[in-house]
Amino acid sequence: MEHVKILTKNLDHDDQRELVAYEKRGGYKSIRKALKMAPAAIVEEVKLSGLRGRGGAGFPTGMKWSFVPRDSGKPVYLLNNADESEPGTFKDRVLMERDPHLCIEGMMIASFALGCHWSCLYIRGEYAYPAECMQRAIAEAYAKGYLGKKIFGSDFDLDIVVHRGAGAYICGEETGLIESLEGNKGQPRIKPPFPAVFGVYGSPTVVNNTETLAVLPWIIENGALEYKKIGTEKSPGTKLFSASGHLEKPGVYEVNLGYPLLEFIERECGGVWKGRRLKAVIPGGSSVPVLRADELEGVLLDYESLRTKGTFLGSGGFIAMDETTDMVEACVNLQHFYTHESCGQCTPCREGARWVETIVKRIAGGQSFASDKLLINDICSQITGHTICPFGDALVTPVLSFMQKFPEEFQERVDRASVLDVSGQTALGSHG
Amino acid sequence: MAEASNNVKITIDGKELVVPKGTNLIEAARMVGVEIPHYCYHPHLSIAGNCRMCQVHVEGSPKLTIACNTGATEGMVVKTQQSSDEVSNAQRATLEFLLINHPLDCTVCDQAGHCKLQDYYYEYNGKPSRFVEEKVHKVKAEPLGPEIVYDGERCILCTRCVRFCEEVPGTTELGVFNRGDHSVIGIQPGHELINPLSGTVVDLCPVGALTHRRWRFNTRIWYTNSADSICPGCSTGCNAKVYSRDGEIVQVKARLNSAVNKEWMCDEGRYGFSRFQPSRRLETPLLLQKGVHQVADFQAACKEASRLASANPGEGGTAAVFLSPFLTTEEIWLSLEFARQVMNVTLASGQVAMQLKQRKLTDAEKLLVSPDYAPNARAAGLLGLGSTDENWRSALERGYDELLKRVRNGGIKRLLLVGDFSVIIDDVDEGIRDAIARCDVSVALTPRGVTPTNGAGHIDPLQVCKVLFPTRTVNEKSGVFVNRDLQIQRLKQHLDSPLNTLPEWMVLNGIAKAAGKPLLESSVVDDRALFRELAKRVPHFSNLTLAKIGVQGVVHDSGA
Repeated sequence: MEHVKILTKNLDHDDQRELVAYEKRGGYKSIRKALKMAPAAIVEEVKLSGLRGRGGAGFPTGMKWSFVPRDSGKPVYLLNNADESEPGTFKDRVLMERDPHLCIEGMMIASFALGCHWSCLYIRGEYAYPAECMQRAIAEAYAKGYLGKKIFGSDFDLDIVVHRGAGAYICGEETGLIESLEGNKGQPRIKPPFPAVFGVYGSPTVVNNTETLAVLPWIIENGALEYKKIGTEKSPGTKLFSASGHLEKPGVYEVNLGYPLLEFIERECGGVWKGRRLKAVIPGGSSVPVLRADELEGVLLDYESLRTKGTFLGSGGFIAMDETTDMVEACVNLQHFYTHESCGQCTPCREGARWVETIVKRIAGGQSFASDKLLINDICSQITGHTICPFGDALVTPVLSFMQKFPEEFQERVDRASVLDVSGQTALGSHG
Repeated sequence: MAEASNNVKITIDGKELVVPKGTNLIEAARMVGVEIPHYCYHPHLSIAGNCRMCQVHVEGSPKLTIACNTGATEGMVVKTQQSSDEVSNAQRATLEFLLINHPLDCTVCDQAGHCKLQDYYYEYNGKPSRFVEEKVHKVKAEPLGPEIVYDGERCILCTRCVRFCEEVPGTTELGVFNRGDHSVIGIQPGHELINPLSGTVVDLCPVGALTHRRWRFNTRIWYTNSADSICPGCSTGCNAKVYSRDGEIVQVKARLNSAVNKEWMCDEGRYGFSRFQPSRRLETPLLLQKGVHQVADFQAACKEASRLASANPGEGGTAAVFLSPFLTTEEIWLSLEFARQVMNVTLASGQVAMQLKQRKLTDAEKLLVSPDYAPNARAAGLLGLGSTDENWRSALERGYDELLKRVRNGGIKRLLLVGDFSVIIDDVDEGIRDAIARCDVSVALTPRGVTPTNGAGHIDPLQVCKVLFPTRTVNEKSGVFVNRDLQIQRLKQHLDSPLNTLPEWMVLNGIAKAAGKPLLESSVVDDRALFRELAKRVPHFSNLTLAKIGVQGVVHDSGA
């Protein structure tokens, strides 16, 4: 299959991050075209394209934009969510490092469509280098007059600032991001009200993922109908996958949605490393359920196909695990991440995250599995859907799916311990 | 009030009710007698939605929603824990989560017995915990400020205290620090929890995480007596629940009253109840004989005091009556009747005054505190003393100052002081002291013993009063108070009164009887009967009963 290169076309050019080179390769053409369109027409175009949010939830971007009230009398804000912290996800980073002006142009188009004059790139604190790349590109754009007052000779003013986070996963949740940006503790807000109505500083706010915004120049240039031709009917377009784990060629790849998962591993990623067999795949970042290698036949990389397999496309954080992987330790590792990143605001997640982690560790230590499995299932059922933000749903995902898909490995821990009579300490005790 | 068109019909557990659109479901459920349990929700604070205790099922919604953040809309069908297993399971789980890292130290916790964690656990969970791991350990006995101590392990992080400091006094001393299950409440660096309402955070704390430094570990709550009373500190009249044990006030909590103090209370009032209890107590009537106060019996004292009486209207100008600002409305009324009927004084003559000092307040204090120390001064206005308009404070203050001047000038021959602080010691100098000493008769009703020492400008007028009657402090009596906004509320006795003391009204009636002009019928034997008498005889209170006033008070109908 030939993949359309919407986002990664110019990534291999080392000078792409410079404005002159970006423009030479056709950059900042779309924003000029967009500025001659009616903002509402851009929203319609994006709706028509079927573009869905690339941050993980896959919510239709055009529809999200249309929730913004036009007559609130308040400024509208566009926030570019570059708080890319999901384990296994590193796609936005590549865009920002290697094609920062593409990210900026996407923000320009969205800002114009939404009537936003102040837009912010919220970038995770650990992304020091990408933040520097973006900051340099923004400075270049200002110097050239592409940002600031009356950009590209239009009547449209736009300022873009870079705001670095302080190292919390939860600030990638859109209302957590807004709170953090306002200078508060990064904790999600209760909804309603939704950000489209009451966002940053109480004003209508749209939070879009970096990759989502970076697609916009192509859609404006080529039209929504062209975009819809790529991918599947319900999942149009291309998607960046950040492939990691036991692969010969891990990295960031842009593929048409609807691409067969196994083909992605074989062709793009060069197959499982060291000639080993595949054991499992987490297709969309650590918060989506794991798939066993024997379930992958015929699975396509798009929202719907993965949904039918009980998992999600998520953020495209594609993690492959070979036959040597200890799934129990992998599960402990992920649960520790969620315990560490729970913001602590609402009860089930704050208290439940560590509880689940300690029980998983206990199982890993070879103590009883059967009864603890029931306990974990019950705890998780009371976390899911009972929290302020989706973090609660995410934190139960690894443990539930790992126990469901690989029960024999959990059971083996118990069997092994009873044979060797070792007392219950996991090899990963240091995670505590 | 909401227009009829803004009302919506909703169903809670099968019961239909009509509420204003947008009423949150906790309040709506209350109206049909369903308690939706909650920790973080408070009717006068912003919605936090973090405790997850108030989850309910709303028809059409795929998951449970939190009642505190859900407004009623037309046709909404709500199921609470009473009719939905999903809801009661979620509540059971929430309690289990809240308790897994809780130290379960109820046996040494001040909150035991009035703790929402205990109450809800018994009501909505009641199962043994399945948690066998090591609990998370956090700060213990951390002083947040001069009055408040924090226990991080007991804390359920409902953030009521944080939101209170941010939203009410606006001082924002508190915040949540750290992340996940290491989260604790703490003070912002370089600050301490010190604002005029700081003690309120303890009331708001649903568990034992915040305690009063001065009151912690002093008693189990079930050994106390409590009264749903009001604070007599100023004319705001904050609703308070006052706990006492063995003749001491051991804890004061603000009571929720949206019309008066929401659920806030100032530290000065809360911690200040004991300031009304004098260190030296007057225990018997005293008569001044040859310059020395001698113990007398009640009848003899009444007989001597009855010299206050005068039948001659021409003598009215020689009398002065000072009233304590801490008298109940009934006592003010009876004092004024005494002045008119027994002493032949008219109110218009300026010879009856209530002690009132206006005070300056900081901006933070102004939120709640009134610029006076006169909790019942507005009742005086209603009864004809001072003014009923917005100048009521300055009218009383001026009247008090002028009457003191008249005493100093020597025109007063008959002096009556009713109640504690009817004259401030700081206002008494040698001139006034000598003028009082020259009076034909001077009578003081006071709970306070005579202060023996003299100092320039600080002379206890009781030293030279001819007759002293032992009466009761504001903590030791019940009656009706009228606050600054004409809210009529009940003061209820917080402390037992010492044996030989009498309420002011009984003493006044005793003197009046001795003078042959009884003010009350013999059937009036207690404060409840006295209130009925007031309601019968004063139009302002004519339609009221103590039951109608209740624990929340009623607004005075200014048309009456």
